[in-house]
Amino acid sequence: MDKSKPETDQHGQQAPRKRRCWPLIKRLSLAFVAVVVLWCVWIDFEVRRDFEALQWALPARLYARPVELYAGATISQAQLSDYLDTLGYRETTQVEGPGEYQRSPSRIRLWSRGFDFWDGAEPSLSLNVEFDGRQVRALWGDNNTGDLALVRLEPAEIAQINPNTGEDRVPVRLSDVPQELVDAVIAVEDQRFFSHFGVDPIGIGRAFVANLKAGSIVQGGSTLTQQLVKNLYLSRQQTLRRKVEEALMALALELHFSKEEILEAYMNEVFLGQQGNRAIHGFALAAEYYFSRPLSELSLAELATLAGLPRGASYYNPRRYPERATQRRDIVLGRMLSQGYITAQQNTTATREPLKVASSAPSRGRTYPAFLELVRDNLARDYDREALQTEGLRIFTTLDLRVQSLIDANLEASVKSVERASANGSDGHLEAAVVISDAITGEVRGLAGGRQRGYAGFNRALNARRPIGSLVKPAIYLAALESRQYSLASVLADRPVSIPLSGSQVWSPTNYDDKLYGDVYLFDALERSMNLATVDLGMQLGIDSVARMLEKLGYNGNIPLYPSLLLGAIDMSPIEVAQLYQTLASNGFRSPLRAVEAVTTAQGERLERYGIETVQVSDPESMYLLEYALQGVFKRGTAKSVTGRMEDSLPLAGKTGTTNDLRDSWFAGYGDDLVGVVWLGYDDNRDTGLTGATGALRVWSELMSDLNIKPRLTLPPSKIVWQDIAPQAVQRASDRDCRTPMSLPFMPGRLPDSAVSCEDDESILQSIFDRVRGLGR
Amino acid sequence: MILRISWILSFSILASCATYSTGRGIPAPIESRDSTGAIEQQPANTSREELPGNAPIQRNEFPPTQNPPARSPAIVTPAPSEPAAPASAASTLLAGVDAAIAEGDLERAAALSERALRINPRDALFWYRLASVRAQQGRASEAEGFARRALSYSSGDPALTGQINALLRDL
Repeated sequence: MDKSKPETDQHGQQAPRKRRCWPLIKRLSLAFVAVVVLWCVWIDFEVRRDFEALQWALPARLYARPVELYAGATISQAQLSDYLDTLGYRETTQVEGPGEYQRSPSRIRLWSRGFDFWDGAEPSLSLNVEFDGRQVRALWGDNNTGDLALVRLEPAEIAQINPNTGEDRVPVRLSDVPQELVDAVIAVEDQRFFSHFGVDPIGIGRAFVANLKAGSIVQGGSTLTQQLVKNLYLSRQQTLRRKVEEALMALALELHFSKEEILEAYMNEVFLGQQGNRAIHGFALAAEYYFSRPLSELSLAELATLAGLPRGASYYNPRRYPERATQRRDIVLGRMLSQGYITAQQNTTATREPLKVASSAPSRGRTYPAFLELVRDNLARDYDREALQTEGLRIFTTLDLRVQSLIDANLEASVKSVERASANGSDGHLEAAVVISDAITGEVRGLAGGRQRGYAGFNRALNARRPIGSLVKPAIYLAALESRQYSLASVLADRPVSIPLSGSQVWSPTNYDDKLYGDVYLFDALERSMNLATVDLGMQLGIDSVARMLEKLGYNGNIPLYPSLLLGAIDMSPIEVAQLYQTLASNGFRSPLRAVEAVTTAQGERLERYGIETVQVSDPESMYLLEYALQGVFKRGTAKSVTGRMEDSLPLAGKTGTTNDLRDSWFAGYGDDLVGVVWLGYDDNRDTGLTGATGALRVWSELMSDLNIKPRLTLPPSKIVWQDIAPQAVQRASDRDCRTPMSLPFMPGRLPDSAVSCEDDESILQSIFDRVRGLGR
Repeated sequence: MILRISWILSFSILASCATYSTGRGIPAPIESRDSTGAIEQQPANTSREELPGNAPIQRNEFPPTQNPPARSPAIVTPAPSEPAAPASAASTLLAGVDAAIAEGDLERAAALSERALRINPRDALFWYRLASVRAQQGRASEAEGFARRALSYSSGDPALTGQINALLRDL
């Protein structure tokens, strides 16, 4: 070419020019080669670095409180089989492996899966449970396990906190992947996987021929390695450069990592389905997602179904397109047969198996949004959003599925029934909030942030701060009893009062029913929730001491120090109210309400434990006297209307609350096992037409009787004495009528005043006294 | 003095009977704890003296004389002649708690105690175990809360009550 060029240089410089040109091309091509080599080296470096550090962003997983089985446990056969269904157990006629159960009259035989709890591992066991109504009568294992005292089943996964990528997976070791699945994937996706070096020319050739024959693309030539590289590192663009990159990366990957490492990564990475904004990655999660069971429990046919998905997870979605998925499964099985992985017999059996996909995928994170928010609140101190979204933390919560499902199932109807009964003609949407916690440990068992099941909007249980009305009264009465200046038989004045406030304002409270009760006993004033008598008591005690009591019971917010505090002019959220009543329910021991028990890493290593805490804030005698009156609320007071319905659960303790113009209807109450707080009201603060008794109490009693709340069996502390008093409260002994005395508990240091006491020794003296006085008049 | 002690003893036996007769719903696994031999079969017994104020506890075996055995180390004798009754949930967990204490895994011991309290929240023994664990960890104020709670459920068991009070004095 150079020779043909016209000689233009007159000074004979042809040769040097030739010399100059050659090196340029040489240098250019050298530079090109160098660039390519550098590129390769860079890709190689990148792939090695990234793959070695391969770590997926894993969502935090939340677990409900697990069911514990032991002789005497409160769970019926139906409840246990429901629970097993929730966990994805299969009911069979012959239990042969983990995740199966068998029902017979009054018995369940099951094979548990075992679980790594934060406080130790629970082994997989075969066991028998015999029921006696609502209780477990006995529990025993098989020949290998023998007698069993206590078995903890796996916890139900209730939610997860997804990474921003939306990807979800359950990483699994290759050794934990069933061989049949490995075979199926290799048979259908990359049959020469174990012999090629990252790219497979033979495979590409075969695919090319097959596609030519079919006239369309029926086979891909990509190896598993290429697919993995594509998913991990490359965009979805189909450019030549990307193809070359993919091949180079695949080669690099194969150079540095073993086939097993690559296969394991593939098994966890591959995209297998989409649920809303959550992408299902990896076979372990897909097993759960489509079959509600772990990989290890799936049949050959089910594994083949999953192995068919990488080709097109939405096209072959077994839930939406069962025929396509079945056809695809049979193709997978056919390849396995032709490549000698399975026998003809296995193939026939598997292809005959109907496609049994779990009816609905457990939808996580949306089922219990109100409780989930409480969990996030609880964890906010120790974990930021990033940690929750990416580190695969396992969070063990206190949620009791039985309690929560019952709230979810019944609240709406229950609220509706009282809404209709209300006098209010407006067509508004009466809202509700519920908090149910353990009476002793303070663990939150269930929560509703609105009347609708699974409501994910404004969480009223945590965030709706409303005046608590008469729910404040137990704090006043406890402060009075604790001061030892008052007894249950102290006489209060239920009479009109006018209390001067700052400036020229005067506060003149009234009773809810506008009646005046005159002289009343302290216990009676609380049981029947008399406003004027309570103001009388509270003003004697001082607002300060009431505020201090609220703090002792567990309220952390600001307390407005006005006399109207005595009638509950203080805004609290239902969960704050639940904290106060939790302290009452555990007899004066305050334990912070908790929604989280512990947090572990994805591998089960314990990170954080949120154990029970408890502080004694009141003495047992005062608590006992207070509870006498709070039980009286059901026996004689404002909650008397539900005693018929709750006969089996009585005695219970609690308090109604109603606020000005019937804007809020409250009930807070407890048995031996549970504390429940119910609030009803409108978001715009309108009149509900409901008192605490006609609204919240009815909802509360329906929920609590369905939960079989246990009666209060509080024993009197040893110092408590019982004494007779006159049934009618009077100021002067001369008005006392002891013909039908009533018996009340007292502290030895604070016995009834002589004006009302009907104790024999004293009353003889008194009656002589009275007579003398009477004579003198 | 003797009169007084026997009066207290008879009263507490009465009180304990009253406690158990009212128990509803919750099984009273405490009663079978000693008879099962489940605790005695556990190797964890060696560790029992390690906790302050945590001498082995003989539930429901009220001292017949004024010589209370509760604070002296118990001599553990398995009862091979008796057929093994199924261990209760509480005795199994108690064995677990004591084993965890022996291994020095106090958080696990606390966790197992809490698990037992979820099954029977009014079991004074497990509240006491929590108190002992916290005391051993030097968390005195928490220990006090648990010990007081234990005390509020221990009226039927003078031996345990004595131990709880001893722990409270040591805090």
